Amino acid sequence: MSAESLILFFIVGAFLVGIAILFSSYIPPKSTNPQKSETYECGIPTEGITWLQFNVGYYLFAIVFLVFDVETVFIFPWARVMKTAGTKGFVEIIIFFFVLGAGLLYAWKKGALKWE
Amino acid sequence: MLVMRHELLLVIITVILLLVEIFLPKDQKHKIILPAILLFTIVTILGFLPGITGELFGGMYVSTALTMTMKNILNIGTLIVFIQSVSWLKKEENKEKISEFYLLLLSTLIGMDYMISSGDFMMFYLGLELATIPIATLAAFERYREKSAEAGVKLIFTSALSSGILLYGISMIYGTTGSVYFTDVKAAFEATPLQILAFIFFFAGMAFKIAIVPFHLWIADVYEGAPINVTSYLSVISKGAAVFILMIILYTVFAKIAIIWRDVLYVTSIITMTVGNLFAIRQRNIKRFLAFSSIAQAGFILLGLIGQSQLGMTTVIYFVLIYIFSNLAAFGVAGIIANVTGKETIDDYDGFYRTNPLLSLTMMLALFSLAGIPPVAGFFGKFFLFAAAAQKGFYILVFIAVLNTIISLYYYLLVIKAMFLNTSDQPIGYFRSDNYTRIGLLLCVAGILVIGFASPVYEFILNLSYGLY
Amino acid sequence: MFEGIPLTWFLILATVMFFIGIYGFLVRKNLITILMSLELVLNSVNINFVAFNKLLYPQHLEGMFFTMFVVAVAAAEASVAIAIIINIYRRLTNIDVERVDEMKY
Repeated sequence: MSAESLILFFIVGAFLVGIAILFSSYIPPKSTNPQKSETYECGIPTEGITWLQFNVGYYLFAIVFLVFDVETVFIFPWARVMKTAGTKGFVEIIIFFFVLGAGLLYAWKKGALKWE
Repeated sequence: MLVMRHELLLVIITVILLLVEIFLPKDQKHKIILPAILLFTIVTILGFLPGITGELFGGMYVSTALTMTMKNILNIGTLIVFIQSVSWLKKEENKEKISEFYLLLLSTLIGMDYMISSGDFMMFYLGLELATIPIATLAAFERYREKSAEAGVKLIFTSALSSGILLYGISMIYGTTGSVYFTDVKAAFEATPLQILAFIFFFAGMAFKIAIVPFHLWIADVYEGAPINVTSYLSVISKGAAVFILMIILYTVFAKIAIIWRDVLYVTSIITMTVGNLFAIRQRNIKRFLAFSSIAQAGFILLGLIGQSQLGMTTVIYFVLIYIFSNLAAFGVAGIIANVTGKETIDDYDGFYRTNPLLSLTMMLALFSLAGIPPVAGFFGKFFLFAAAAQKGFYILVFIAVLNTIISLYYYLLVIKAMFLNTSDQPIGYFRSDNYTRIGLLLCVAGILVIGFASPVYEFILNLSYGLY
Repeated sequence: MFEGIPLTWFLILATVMFFIGIYGFLVRKNLITILMSLELVLNSVNINFVAFNKLLYPQHLEGMFFTMFVVAVAAAEASVAIAIIINIYRRLTNIDVERVDEMKY
């Protein structure tokens, strides 16, 4: 796909979406009442403010997840060439897993995985 | 495998300490201090055994006699930091985090070793990050103190931004030369405008790490806020490692644009010395004072780099070795005072000689060595630096450096005057420092006194420096 | 997929992203937003590396590997930064950078 067709795609896409939005704002009958702009939650009135802060515990989980999640980036290339890499590659990835496991064990032992 | 001896040993003891930390019951955490120090002493001694030089991972890792010496120097400095920090770690509030201190410190040391031995920009970047990120957590180590958290956040943000800038430079180098390996980059380097721009980005990133003047603003706050033992590590070991790798990269990869980086170093060296010295005069907090003094010392180190000769290289390594001992002695005394009494300003030191003569004498030796007064090692370090620059004809630069030495003498003597001549109504009372602190300070004092007179040390480094050219 | 798009466009994109990141780092007041600006800087470098590798030097994969390591290191950096920010929040109940000013020149 060349750059020209990409630009054409964008223009056509923007045109179609714009037409749809214009249609939906001009065609249907309009009625407004205050109930319509209320926050919807299971059909009953909402409780408290919706801009509440997240519990700090989410952040702790996010940190642990962030670190271990990104490590996949190193495992994937190894999995791709596992057969040609042979025993040496296998031993190296085992060491990698061992270090990761030690880190997880440490986080577990320190109570980072416990919800407070 | 034996080529990577330093790093492998450090990795092994780090894993051992991590496993011990995981399986040790909570009320016995303090028992890890002595084994950790002994293990690290063994590693330091093993590092001095004659090693095998060579390359690993297809040239990503290069070990020469020179890099091994650099790693040994860093090991010695870290050992002293280990010993000095015992009295701080034994405090009640740190009791649960003792092994974390060792683990994080050892991780940074592994990072520095890989950084020094790197043969391509990827290994260099990984080592650099491994050497910086754990230090931010160490700076924020005292969770109950606001200042400590502030130091941590300032350190992590500035260092992350600086590594971003540095990476942008590396990406341009990769784009213009087609490789990230030092040897290939050196061969393909043509000094095109884009490559010079890449060098500027790279140098700006490194200048953040060494705290060269336009990029020094984080340093005083981080030094003041971080725990004093972490500050001493940050000011000598981190800075030393960054100087070593900057020297290697300037002399090998950027050898073709020496004319350009010589000018850059010329200007930054003068600004760094002058600003560091002038700001140091008005500091009242001993940690901020030592922070600006370390900025000034970085300016002097650049003086040695500028020569681009075997002599310049030797003097830089020699100067860093002396600087490690002198600065660790100064921080050691300031640290024990802060730990025992909680006092950190220079005014608190009035009349310190009356109550604690030995500690005052140690501090005096350290400050004399930092200032460069003849009988101690610091004089020889500075003298050789000036000689290296003068040999290449930078007479004006050497003249400015000498003027700066005189300014620095003034403020170092201010501290000594406070300790020896000033009297105070409430001097710091007499206290006995524990044995670990004494051993640490004794090592520093021995280093300051011996290295200046032991010419074999200097000649040893001089012989090694042939390797790189 | 990339045929026909000149290298310059990638480089312009990366440069714009880099400087938006720097601008955000200098101007923003919220520590989390500053962290996001930093990620922008690092990702602009990643675009540079991948574009150079794909369009100029496709025979080796050095640029791609460099990108992978940058991504992993950025994650480590972000997690340490977030941990310290949480600590600051617990101390100050605020993560406005103007409030983190106990030490100044």
